Amino acid sequence: MTISVWRYSHLVLAVSSFLLLTLASTTGIILAFEPVSQKIQPYRVDTISQLTLAQTLPVLKKSYTEISELSVDANQFVQIKGSDADGKNLTAYIDPQTGKILGIPTKQSEFFQWVTALHRSLFLHEAGRFFIGLTAFLLLLITVSGTMLIIQRQRGVKRFFTRIVRDNFAQYYHVVLGRLSLIPIFVIALSGTYLSLARFGLVGEDKVSPKIDFDAIQSKPERKLADFSVFKNTRLADVQTIEFPFSEDVEDYYTLKLKDRELTVNQITGDILSENRYPAAVLLTNLSLDLHTGRTSAIWAIILAVASGNILFFIYSGFAITWKRRANRVKNKYSADESRFIILVGSENGSTFRFAQAIHQQLIKQGEKTFLTEFNNYTVFPKAEYLIALTATYGLGEAPTNAQKFAALVEKYPQPQPVRYSVLGFGSHAYPDFCQFAFEVNQVLAGQPWAVPLVDIHTVNDRSPEDFGLWAEAWSQQADRPMPVSSDLLKGPVSRFETLTVTNNTRTEQSDGTFLIRLRARRRRSVTSGDLLAIYPANDHRERLYSIGVLEKELQLSVRLHPGGLGSGFLHELTPGETIRARVVSNDHFHFPQNAPVVVMIANGTGIAPFLGMISQNKQQIPCHLYCGFRQSASFDSYRNFLEASQTTQKLTSLHVAYSREGDRQYVSSLIAHDAEFIANALMMKGVVMICGSLAMQKDVIDLLETICQTKLGKSVSVYQSHSQILMDCY
Amino acid sequence: MSCLHKISLLVLTLVVAGSSASFAQQSGTTQYKCMIQMTNYMGEKAYIAVSLMNGKGVYEKTLYVLGSDKKWYPDVKEWYKAVGKKTTNISAISGASVAGGDRSVIVLEIDNSKLNKEYKLRFESAVEDKEDHAKDLEIPLTTEGLSAKSEGTGYIRYVRFSPNTSN
Repeated sequence: MTISVWRYSHLVLAVSSFLLLTLASTTGIILAFEPVSQKIQPYRVDTISQLTLAQTLPVLKKSYTEISELSVDANQFVQIKGSDADGKNLTAYIDPQTGKILGIPTKQSEFFQWVTALHRSLFLHEAGRFFIGLTAFLLLLITVSGTMLIIQRQRGVKRFFTRIVRDNFAQYYHVVLGRLSLIPIFVIALSGTYLSLARFGLVGEDKVSPKIDFDAIQSKPERKLADFSVFKNTRLADVQTIEFPFSEDVEDYYTLKLKDRELTVNQITGDILSENRYPAAVLLTNLSLDLHTGRTSAIWAIILAVASGNILFFIYSGFAITWKRRANRVKNKYSADESRFIILVGSENGSTFRFAQAIHQQLIKQGEKTFLTEFNNYTVFPKAEYLIALTATYGLGEAPTNAQKFAALVEKYPQPQPVRYSVLGFGSHAYPDFCQFAFEVNQVLAGQPWAVPLVDIHTVNDRSPEDFGLWAEAWSQQADRPMPVSSDLLKGPVSRFETLTVTNNTRTEQSDGTFLIRLRARRRRSVTSGDLLAIYPANDHRERLYSIGVLEKELQLSVRLHPGGLGSGFLHELTPGETIRARVVSNDHFHFPQNAPVVVMIANGTGIAPFLGMISQNKQQIPCHLYCGFRQSASFDSYRNFLEASQTTQKLTSLHVAYSREGDRQYVSSLIAHDAEFIANALMMKGVVMICGSLAMQKDVIDLLETICQTKLGKSVSVYQSHSQILMDCY
Repeated sequence: MSCLHKISLLVLTLVVAGSSASFAQQSGTTQYKCMIQMTNYMGEKAYIAVSLMNGKGVYEKTLYVLGSDKKWYPDVKEWYKAVGKKTTNISAISGASVAGGDRSVIVLEIDNSKLNKEYKLRFESAVEDKEDHAKDLEIPLTTEGLSAKSEGTGYIRYVRFSPNTSN
């Protein structure tokens, strides 16, 4: 299976770094608790943010005979080093206001020391640091490629945080958590990389030691510490360390290391002897340390721990996804040259393969020679009779990566014999370009002289078993062979059988004539015009589907009597009062649109059935235009009265009828061609075109619409199909 | 050199000389404040061992260790080979390791009987993954040695002493 560059690099990076990444994340989680454990110690004094050095230092000078250094750590604990009254070394946390000792610093625990060394260098010194630095860099690349994948999946930066379609646990949470922890992980990776670079001296600038002109040092005027203006202006909170003068000699001075610069101060006069701003590299290193370790904020440290935990989850879920995808790889028993059934798959992340495999296995079980392959492997199939094309759509209505060459290949390799094709699109209504690529594939195939449509294009929303089942039923009915899928794919609520009573049957004199039959359900169930009625004429597995029009709370079917036809013959013989058992199959995609400004209905023959129901229910009087085609006016007579009445009640705005065997001998498509301008306008103002009838009519109409859309609107018809502005239910 | 500095040096010398004159009678110890100023090297913080060496150049005692993580002690090679392993009481005299450009002030406790007797103070410095300077700095344990500013040869720029004022 071909996969995109970003996905491939995401995977390669993950595979090459997962061991070290696992180790670094695990130790990282542990280390995050070090700053947290420090923060809860009681050495912080709240007033530190207001205190200046002029207030603090005199107090400390008085309290301690010797101080060599004062430091304020990341927790804002103030610590001094010096010697006590006995001249012993003293290191203690103190209260900077009173000089009182608050506690003695404990050494970093051996455990954290050990984990830190493992985290930084794997105990391998320089080599280990290099590998860890490399891992941080790889994590950075993984984050970038992952972000690109999310942008691709969500179709654009703006839609970054919109809903994610759930395929399975690993995939869903990989993406959801990926978005949430993107920023902390990016920070971890970037700061880790920077720290490694700094460690190897690749970004650092040397520290500059203070340059002091000792000849210019003044010993007058003598001032008190509290009067030094530099001490008055420096807050304790800005201090990192203060080095006290080593002796009372005027050439010994205070060194103030602040957050952003280093000052040296004459210990007698309080003059500033030198001032060095830190180079950007030093500030960046400090910032990286703050961000990478969470030493300044317990909350950030916890966020880092959670993000590290997420990395572990990504490693697990990423491999779970990859493993699933690989399990979908194609295994063919028969070659492309000898197979009667060709199954083509277009899939970006492999979930469509599952359906294709199911059909493939089932056909092989039935003893058929079947060949399953990707769209991009399309070629001449000399023995093919059936072509089943299953495809998802990727990005903004684009082809999945393994189907991008399909259109060109179809042009290049015409099949030598007629092949009956069926297209099944997979997608989710959560995305605006629902199944657009599937519609395009259908279009491309419809344009081939060798291609014979077997069933109308079907779409499957969110991998709904019902949607898939609908296609499978239609396919098996048209191919006249058992359903090509195993039942476990079709799990889901099995709709119950209804008992329906026949209330009217118009019958017909001639075979090849059409008749209307009305049925009433015993219990009122929600049935909408456009749904399908599945009947079982012989009480066995054989099922026949008819479009339902709902009129006066009854189900009306429009049927053409075929000589020897199983379904039509059965229905024709029914008399009022008889009951039958049947199933109502919901067909959501072919319901009358609720919010369209205008609806154009196109039908031929019995395809008018659902439209009759829709027109009768059009109580809001949405502008509604019906174009229909029949063989002769006699076929239209059974609908004439109803439609003319609907026009007077404004449920139907205009009516256009074509007869193919009388008068001008027109097809419905010529009516459409005549009103091309009107149709284009309707589509432009977000109107909906509904098509119901034979596949041949559908093919003509869609070809015509393609021309209209291209010339008048500058877009392909598949764009309108995928935005549910062109709805089809043909057979 | 300023006048004040000269005076303080003189005072220092007198104090040291005074104590050295009287050490024969008292076998006590003297505390010396010692400042170690590092060079501006890039890299990890340095580990420094301060040892007392006898006239034959043999380690006699560990006076101070800067750096508390025992894991890196073997990096301070000469010292570790000679006494580091055996010195059980390091934790009582170890402090924080020092970074490039920083200074550290420590207090050394030296037996009065060792002064002016061919003993030396050795400062050995080591930085993780960088070289080790076994004799970064050696100062004769004499009155003059302890009063001068001594230049280092490795990570240490210089070392300065002053007698602990409280003593």
